[in-house]
Amino acid sequence: MTASYLDLLMAQQEEVTEAEGGGGGIWVVADVVGGAVAPVTLEALGAARTLADSLGAYVYGVLLGDGVSDLAQKLYQAGADGVRVADHSSLARFALAPYLKVLSDLFEGEQPEVVIFGATAQGQALAPRLAQRMGGGLIEHVVGATLDEATRTVQGAYPAYGGEYYEIGACPDARPQFLTVEAGAFPVPFLDEYRTGEPTAVEVEPVEPAVRAVGLAEDFEPPPVPLAKARVVVAAGRQVGDFDQVEPLAAALGGQVAGDRGARDAGWIEPGQIVDVRGVMVAPDLYVAAGIRGDTFHNAAIEEAKFIVAIHPDADAPIFQVADLCLEADPRAVLPALLKALE
Amino acid sequence: MRIIVVIGRVLDPEGFVVNRRRGRIFVNREEYLIQPADRCALEAALRIKDSRSVDVEVVALPRCPLPDDDVLRLAVATGADRAIYLTGDGVAKADDAVMARILAAAVERLGGADLILTGATTMDTGQAQLAPRVAEALGWPQILDALHVEAADGRVTAILKEGNGYVTVETDLPAVVTVPQDTVKPRYPDGVRLINVYKREGEMATAVEEWDVAGLVDAEALQPLLEKRGQDFPPERERGVRASGTPEEMARAVADALGQRV
Repeated sequence: MTASYLDLLMAQQEEVTEAEGGGGGIWVVADVVGGAVAPVTLEALGAARTLADSLGAYVYGVLLGDGVSDLAQKLYQAGADGVRVADHSSLARFALAPYLKVLSDLFEGEQPEVVIFGATAQGQALAPRLAQRMGGGLIEHVVGATLDEATRTVQGAYPAYGGEYYEIGACPDARPQFLTVEAGAFPVPFLDEYRTGEPTAVEVEPVEPAVRAVGLAEDFEPPPVPLAKARVVVAAGRQVGDFDQVEPLAAALGGQVAGDRGARDAGWIEPGQIVDVRGVMVAPDLYVAAGIRGDTFHNAAIEEAKFIVAIHPDADAPIFQVADLCLEADPRAVLPALLKALE
Repeated sequence: MRIIVVIGRVLDPEGFVVNRRRGRIFVNREEYLIQPADRCALEAALRIKDSRSVDVEVVALPRCPLPDDDVLRLAVATGADRAIYLTGDGVAKADDAVMARILAAAVERLGGADLILTGATTMDTGQAQLAPRVAEALGWPQILDALHVEAADGRVTAILKEGNGYVTVETDLPAVVTVPQDTVKPRYPDGVRLINVYKREGEMATAVEEWDVAGLVDAEALQPLLEKRGQDFPPERERGVRASGTPEEMARAVADALGQRV
């Protein structure tokens, strides 16, 4: 085989074709964020491709929005065999009624076997309504999917009590089977740039949204979340030198600032921010301890935290015995780098 | 004005331990709480009632099969005017699809409602499909995750989080609105009302009614769609994983780990 022939073969684009007449199949409804296909949609397409290959079914993507036609190729690249595009100015912003009308009309005709949404605000609003309208079953927040091939049923694992364990559910007698999948739960598939296709336009009948935007609620102050109930806590001790890097990190992670008794003694935090069995016991999803050595009282107070990151220069610091991810380093060097990495 | 509040119960997470290695859940103390988000929905309903001069009736209905009516009695003791306890053969295995049909039928039998309020997600499995399913069954609009709710002049107004800010939205009544956990501080049940609702005395004598679902929907509508097929347990927590390298490399390792969690 000559090199020129190989080049020609590699450059040959694979034109994806759909099943004649459609029907069935695994459908993924795309989330479009900032003019791009959301990663969760690509992950859902990867999961759909795996299921479809076992079922011997086709994978279809659905794009809704204004000026989204160009994004169809991304769905082909991620594994879709067919793409439907509802491109209309009335779909520029997500609103339930117009989106529901398009999808409901489309699925009534196509009768999908499985429909997958991202577990986003859009997916969580649309999936239950479509499921109820079409008599379908719905498993939400799916983090793992397997197939019962005998009954062509998707079994979805979804977290219970914040991921302490997973419940496994299936809807064997309901079609379509609706799923909403958690972001990051499935790998992003390889995007094959040679995979292309011709998307099909969906006719859009404009519908007035039932919920109207009134305006910004600038004066609204949400009720403060007590430190004990915060989902993310960034705590620091004397080793950090000051809280100049701690507060931006907490803001970047959407969390609350706290500290140990040393930080309180240095005047950096209020008494209500001391993490300690004699102060506040916390149970966040994420606890970052920067420059906290971790005495018994502190470590007991973070026992319920689901993931602990500890940064301390002393390799023998007791905090490392309870932390999930340990960084034996000076927090003053790591925190700026961490802030930069999070950007 | 009639507000329906849909409330359920959840096993208190303080009362059990999950042993991932053995793949078992050890329940030490089987105690149930009102779903925290449903408590906030009840509080939102009672605040609308408190703020309005016209008559507002708050009716509590269950979001899931209940072996007893304790949760509903607590709702009445907290301030709901009445509660409907749903019983019958079909209700015990009801999933959200079935409950949506039952609740829609119950609303019809009550003579309609102006607003349905419920918790945005359940505390245990984070399920959020009941409210949109009820809205679909009734053909009503929905507002999900409302941080603040007001209802007046045939409209419901809600404040939602959007990006880093907040927006106000509105829709015409009747509507379904969900309220997340920790958005309002729920009030406690009133002691006297609590005693009376259990003793069935005074105005509490008929506050909790019992309805058989067989009279609301046909047997076919009571077939659940979701089948629970067991549990799976993630691997045991691995503590003490050390990240090494330069501060930048360590920061990248942390950022990657956090990316899956935040």
